[in-house]
Amino acid sequence: MAGLISSQATVLLLLMCCVGSSMAVFFSSLPKTLIVTASPTPGQALYAGVDQINVTWSLNQSLPAGADSAYKKVKLLLCYPPVSQADRPWRKTEDHLQKDKTCQFKMVVQPYGRATRGSYVYTIERSIPTGTYFVRAYALDADDTQVAYGQTTDAKKTANLFDVVGISGRHASLDIAAASFSAFAVVALVFFFMLEKRKGKK
Amino acid sequence: MEENSNKSVLQVEAVAPATAKFKIPVDSEQKATEFWLFSFVAPHMRAFHLSWFSFFCCFVSTFAAPPLLPVIRDNLNLSATDIGNAGIASVSGAVFARLAMGTACDLVGPRLASASLILLTTPAVYFTALINSPSSYLLVRFFTGFSLGSFVSTQFWMSSMFSPPKVGVANGIAGGWGNLGGGATQLIMPLVFDLIHHIGSTRFTAWRVAFFIPGLMQTFSAIAVLALGQDLPNGNYRKLEKAGDKHKDSFGKVFYNAVTNYRGWILALTYGYCFGVELTIDNIIAEYFYDKFDVNLRTAGMIAASFGMANIVSRPGGGWLSDLMSRRFGMRGRLWSLWVVQSIGGVLCIVLGKMHNLSAAVVVMLLFSCFVQAACGLTFGVVPFISRRSLGLISGMTGGGGNVGAVLTQLIFFKGSRYSKETGITLMGVMILACTLPITLIYFPQWGGILCGPRAKATAEDYYAAEWSEDEKERGYHSASVKFAENSVKEGGRRRENSPTVPVDETPSYV
Repeated sequence: MAGLISSQATVLLLLMCCVGSSMAVFFSSLPKTLIVTASPTPGQALYAGVDQINVTWSLNQSLPAGADSAYKKVKLLLCYPPVSQADRPWRKTEDHLQKDKTCQFKMVVQPYGRATRGSYVYTIERSIPTGTYFVRAYALDADDTQVAYGQTTDAKKTANLFDVVGISGRHASLDIAAASFSAFAVVALVFFFMLEKRKGKK
Repeated sequence: MEENSNKSVLQVEAVAPATAKFKIPVDSEQKATEFWLFSFVAPHMRAFHLSWFSFFCCFVSTFAAPPLLPVIRDNLNLSATDIGNAGIASVSGAVFARLAMGTACDLVGPRLASASLILLTTPAVYFTALINSPSSYLLVRFFTGFSLGSFVSTQFWMSSMFSPPKVGVANGIAGGWGNLGGGATQLIMPLVFDLIHHIGSTRFTAWRVAFFIPGLMQTFSAIAVLALGQDLPNGNYRKLEKAGDKHKDSFGKVFYNAVTNYRGWILALTYGYCFGVELTIDNIIAEYFYDKFDVNLRTAGMIAASFGMANIVSRPGGGWLSDLMSRRFGMRGRLWSLWVVQSIGGVLCIVLGKMHNLSAAVVVMLLFSCFVQAACGLTFGVVPFISRRSLGLISGMTGGGGNVGAVLTQLIFFKGSRYSKETGITLMGVMILACTLPITLIYFPQWGGILCGPRAKATAEDYYAAEWSEDEKERGYHSASVKFAENSVKEGGRRRENSPTVPVDETPSYV
């Protein structure tokens, strides 16, 4: 028990150190300076492990020069809109970005170069669950802190969403194994019952 | 003359006490008067090890899903409501199963009853690997939960194998080490999942494969019970009934006797607020720590496991405390300690919901687990004395009541999003305090209760004999009850050691 408590104390200390080194970033403070488009059409269903998403991002050209001076990298993520978050508190949106669970799947981190634009072809990983998604891009500074963002959907996160159909994870071998082991359990029970009956008769 | 001496030799052999054949010392009912934890001697200690381990496996299976929920909820697209409903379903099946098991034990014996239940619920565990929707998730958790009914056969078996001075500790350790499964599974499942995921399976396949471990454990423990176990010190029910050594009781009479005993109902309610609370915590705690304190799956599993792991010592500790209090204060001591310990558990539960710091929450949770599990052990220090004739059904009612408590608590406080989890935990603590008060109403005429002392002329023999009608007593059906009454004389506490009911086979020590 003492060992458990001391390991928990260590974890807590480490957590506090991490929080201390990066300032709290709030989503509401980020400017929407990136324009992001993704290949799926609204309502299209894509299959995990099979289909691809073509994402392009670029800086909004109508911004004053120097607006992107801090941008060093761009991080592309798959995010949950409110329709995927309903009755699922583990996907809740929080303004404090460290606590935010909206965007749980990283697609890629790309360097932000002078071209101020980029694209990426992402094959949907087999670990992406079934749900409705949109794409968001965060511009990161040299400390990997978010300084700006862009997303494929609107502020309410209801427009331009697409669906991903996740893999089931099932296999024929599992089906067979489950059926055989179940049958074995029942047969073993019947076997012992018959043995009891025979012993009783004697 | 030779013939005569041969006959007399045979007669002597037939009458020789069966006590000679047991390595462990026994009383007049052939129940063990000592408890040798690290021994496997047949039939008493072997029965103990078989029963706690098979029950442990049932707990591992029933609570195998919660630590993997962060993966399962994504695979099956579960909502918080789906998860809450399945959690309720997982403990509600056992309400009925425990009642049925009580009766089954009274009628066919704990060995066949428990092995049947365990083997018939194993398919539900294997089929968990195949589910793909919220409704199939609910169904497998519901059917797997039936296996928790084997708790009753564990307690019944221990009460049949161990004498009153040791029944508290035997029941406590068997129950506690079984409940341990609820903690062990929070460690085992993430570990197995990590291993399989590492070998190369995707997340969504790895968790499915992991479920074969609890399934196989369950199957083989039940087969061991059938192959190596024995219902009573003298043999199995069927054999003894055929030989006329055991009277085959009627279900109707056993049932009526159990439901008309108010003490069984009170303990059913209060057990819902120690064991029921333990089941609820088993279902919600891993996700609670994962979501509130942002720890990873493995860490959440470890924290959740430490709650259940406290069972190694806390529930047996409760049983041992019950036996200790009984030596000094008799049944009144057992009842007092149960009430105090369970109430402290309630207070700690209230405090747990108010902890917002990870280390503090873990510490309070561990203290809370000790008290709540000790209360479970203390409850089953009292249960064996409520009825002798309907021991199985009373155990079943109490055990079932535990599950009803779990269903109610999850329904009221942990379904959907009405209360945050921490508010739910605090309110659960308040409910524990309220529902523990009825223990003050339990009264045994021969031994007393929390508030009042025993009645002057009441005896244990009268109490247990009253479970049988005059007609049945004439036929000697109640002989086992009489023996039990004699052996429970010490429940009167130190002051009552010189009671009039002196066991027939023992010479009074003060002469």
